[in-house]
Amino acid sequence: MDLVVSTSAVIPASVVVPLAAAALMVGFSRFLPRWARDLIAIAVALATTALTLILMAASAGHPMIYWFSGWRPSAGMVIGIDYAVGPLGAGMASLAGVLASAALVYCWRYFDSARGRHHALVLIFLAASVDFCLTGDLFNLFVAFELVAVTAFALTGYNAGHPAPLQGAINFAVTNSLGGMSVLMGVGFLYARTGSLNLAQIGQALSGRHPDGLIVVAFALLTGGFLVKAAVVPFHFWLPDAYGSAPIPVCVLFAGVMSELGLFAVIRVWDTVFSGLAGGSGPRMRAVLLGLGILTAVVGAVMALAQIHLKRMLAFVTMSHMGIYLIGVGLLTPLGLAGASLLVIGDGLAKSALFLGVGVVQHQRASVSEIKLRGRGRGLAVTGVTIMLGALVLADLPPYVSSAGHALLVKAAEQAGLPWLEIVIALSVSLSSGAVLRAAGRIWLGWGSSQSPRPDTGTADDPGEEAKDRSDTANSANAEGAPGTQESIGSTDGGPAGADRDQDGREWSGRLRRVPLTMLLPPLALLAIGLGLGLTSGVEEHAAAAAAAFSDRAAYATAVLRTHVGPVPTGGRVVVPASPAASAGGVLTDLGQVLAALCVAGIALDRRAVGLRRALAAGTGWLRRLHSGLVGDQVTWLVAGLALLAALSEAALH
Amino acid sequence: MSRRARLVFFAVAAAGLAVTLGVGLAGLPSFGSQLTAYARMLNELASPQRHVTDVVSAITFDYRGIDTLFEEFILLAAVAGISVLLRPLSDESRQLPEDKAPNRKIPPPSPAVWLLAVLLSSLLTLIGLETITHGVLTPGGGFQAGVILASAIYVIYLGTNYATVERFQPDPLLEASDGVGAFGYVVIGLLGLLAGDVFLSNVVGLGVTGNLIAGGTIPLLNLVVGVEVAGGFAILASEFLDQTAVIRTERR
Amino acid sequence: MSVLAYGVVAWLFLVGIYGVVTSRNLIHMVVCLSVAQSATDVLLLEIGYRTGGHAPVFVSLPTHPGPAVDAVMQALALTDVVVGAAVTALLLALVVQVHKRAGTLDPDALRATRD
Repeated sequence: MDLVVSTSAVIPASVVVPLAAAALMVGFSRFLPRWARDLIAIAVALATTALTLILMAASAGHPMIYWFSGWRPSAGMVIGIDYAVGPLGAGMASLAGVLASAALVYCWRYFDSARGRHHALVLIFLAASVDFCLTGDLFNLFVAFELVAVTAFALTGYNAGHPAPLQGAINFAVTNSLGGMSVLMGVGFLYARTGSLNLAQIGQALSGRHPDGLIVVAFALLTGGFLVKAAVVPFHFWLPDAYGSAPIPVCVLFAGVMSELGLFAVIRVWDTVFSGLAGGSGPRMRAVLLGLGILTAVVGAVMALAQIHLKRMLAFVTMSHMGIYLIGVGLLTPLGLAGASLLVIGDGLAKSALFLGVGVVQHQRASVSEIKLRGRGRGLAVTGVTIMLGALVLADLPPYVSSAGHALLVKAAEQAGLPWLEIVIALSVSLSSGAVLRAAGRIWLGWGSSQSPRPDTGTADDPGEEAKDRSDTANSANAEGAPGTQESIGSTDGGPAGADRDQDGREWSGRLRRVPLTMLLPPLALLAIGLGLGLTSGVEEHAAAAAAAFSDRAAYATAVLRTHVGPVPTGGRVVVPASPAASAGGVLTDLGQVLAALCVAGIALDRRAVGLRRALAAGTGWLRRLHSGLVGDQVTWLVAGLALLAALSEAALH
Repeated sequence: MSRRARLVFFAVAAAGLAVTLGVGLAGLPSFGSQLTAYARMLNELASPQRHVTDVVSAITFDYRGIDTLFEEFILLAAVAGISVLLRPLSDESRQLPEDKAPNRKIPPPSPAVWLLAVLLSSLLTLIGLETITHGVLTPGGGFQAGVILASAIYVIYLGTNYATVERFQPDPLLEASDGVGAFGYVVIGLLGLLAGDVFLSNVVGLGVTGNLIAGGTIPLLNLVVGVEVAGGFAILASEFLDQTAVIRTERR
Repeated sequence: MSVLAYGVVAWLFLVGIYGVVTSRNLIHMVVCLSVAQSATDVLLLEIGYRTGGHAPVFVSLPTHPGPAVDAVMQALALTDVVVGAAVTALLLALVVQVHKRAGTLDPDALRATRD
């Protein structure tokens, strides 16, 4: 493996460009017209995507190590902070860029961007995600984690006029802050033992050692804190509250990027720091991670079926898929990691398309309740197709890239001697996609009953985001305060002030007749990208190679520290199964999952299955009641989860 | 969960977490016993290498400068986020506070309190400026000084009524200073790139240890961070004040 | 000495979380969260401490100054303080809006997000 210290300016540019643009937007956006703010934000997000894609291509053969402030390691001791750019990290960063660009396009004109501050926060979120994916320093990882979190808290509470987003943001902020504190304590413990904050150097210091209490606890605190972000059971209770009430473009970022970053950190820290411990990567550690993954996948799928609030349903679908990615990652093999990576990309694109589609429905029909929207999908045909397609892609419809990932994951499970994992994955995927298909069938085809299965808690009353940029007229005392002005669409606002407001005033009389292209096209574009990637030959090999490079601790340490650290393994190439029988079998499995999802949706809508549905609802009532939305409960579960994870890690690592 | 059930569950869970933390803390080296090699090396090398006497500043703005860039943006994001969260919504309007009794203006602020506020504010500004500029020599620096400077503005708020406060609250200026501070850090980092080195390299002349202007880019970064933090905290205060004093929800 | 010093960290963290879990007032809850945050600050500073050490500022030192404490941990603690301040401020802004919109400051009375 080539060891390259890079001075390429593309590496810092990938974070500097969005940060600089965000700073300028916070400082000077009141002097910019609205279209300029939207345009600048979209352009910057696209530029960042391009930069990270360049990095992904350039780092394919060898990692690129970039030392900030010029401080290279001396005598094996790291002094400064580095970025260790590899194709897996850069690929994750590119996904963040693509989704941020799609979300910002969706915001064009029909989104109150609070004088550009929403766009600035999205750009900072993007920059922090890129830093998170590229960094080689443990404390820098923590800082990026907190920056992602802070922007996310603010963006969640965006619709500050309703109690639900505020409560969701509070739950999110409290639980994730505690997760961040847990990570920081883990960082402190590792520094105290190894004397370094650099991932490679810590890994070197720990390699070959037997883990004692301090190391086990550091692992548990670090992993637990990151799993809070990844919304793995039992750290997940904040997720439906936050994702269910955040504005749609923000949900895109959360579902496609933020949750996955939590898991990325877990495997990053494991691969660079803990995987070298004596007796580390044993079957017991694998069992812990797989157990958590299976639990998350199943709980998420069951809860998704129980939702009538579309955004909460998609939140649980996201959580269920996070469980599947954890299964892939938890196999602790490069093949499993490769499968999980492709799934993250494909599912990320599809989940974002789903959220954007729901956003269109919310924008046009002022509701996200599946029951209230029954049959009202007429006239939104494109969105209906988008949502149904997205749900099928989540069920691993071939030839999308997620089906390639699924195939790799199944193969990895077989190689690890756990073929029954495929059944668990198929079950959760069918249930969660079935839930979305059920909703689509009810909304667009008018199937299913028009009564809610249980008393409507009213959480699905969600009129959606405001479109007027009210901060512009904040200083004209009563211009916007006219009684009778509704927050949702349908406001007939008299007295337009400027040129572009005039146009808004006209179009805002009643509902929009046409859905703007800037809302229709992004989800379709995301699905198209997924299809394109899936049709590209060799994508599995690239993923496998990227995962192999990511998992190779010794080679990474050598690259960063530039000292020979014992025999460097020749880095065995990960063999990707290419036999026709395997791929045909894979396609059949995927189609089987799709079919199962459709069957689940059908049963859910069929009037004759009412008895079955009631029985299932009664049987899972206790699970639903646990999701009380109370922050005290959520923090208690978090503490219990940390303690449990510590106990399990002790059993697994000792 | 009922509160009782939650308490019981929490007691058990907290006991587990206490054991976990105890095991972890027990594995730490004895309190006060040793420093890591990294810390010892930086304590020895920071002065000769960077010509500053405050090693913490050198670490914050030079050795680990990229961390501080993101830390600065955490503050920027928080301030932007708060101004988004507390922005006037569609069913709200801004009305200056009025006296409850009709035909009566709000009494002017007490001259004694106002004098005290002005004196204190001037003192705080001086201390803040001193902390920024001496950040390379003694404990201090941009973050700390920014908060002190912002508190100079807070003292003005405490000493007077809202109408006067509005005059001292040039929102465009505060926002611009917030943005310029953050952007400035990036620009200084780019100087390194322009000089052919990597981002955030210390490429400005290092000066003599013990001088105010020493350490290359370190005092410059101190300055921009101070500007950003001061602007940010001032915006914070004005947002919260607006919510309390000025923004009124319409009753329908 | 170690037990007491390090025990403070565990105590602060657990007491802060206890406050969050049992709180009946959102502002009280936010303050308890920052108490838990301070536990992490204390941990970092304690890891960096050296008995008989002086601050890592090499100016106006006595003749035989002794070792300096860990400056890296102090830089990290500074970052942690900034993070804590940012999150606390955000949470307080959310609390202000919740009080206005939901009419209550009791975290257990917020019922807007449940199944």
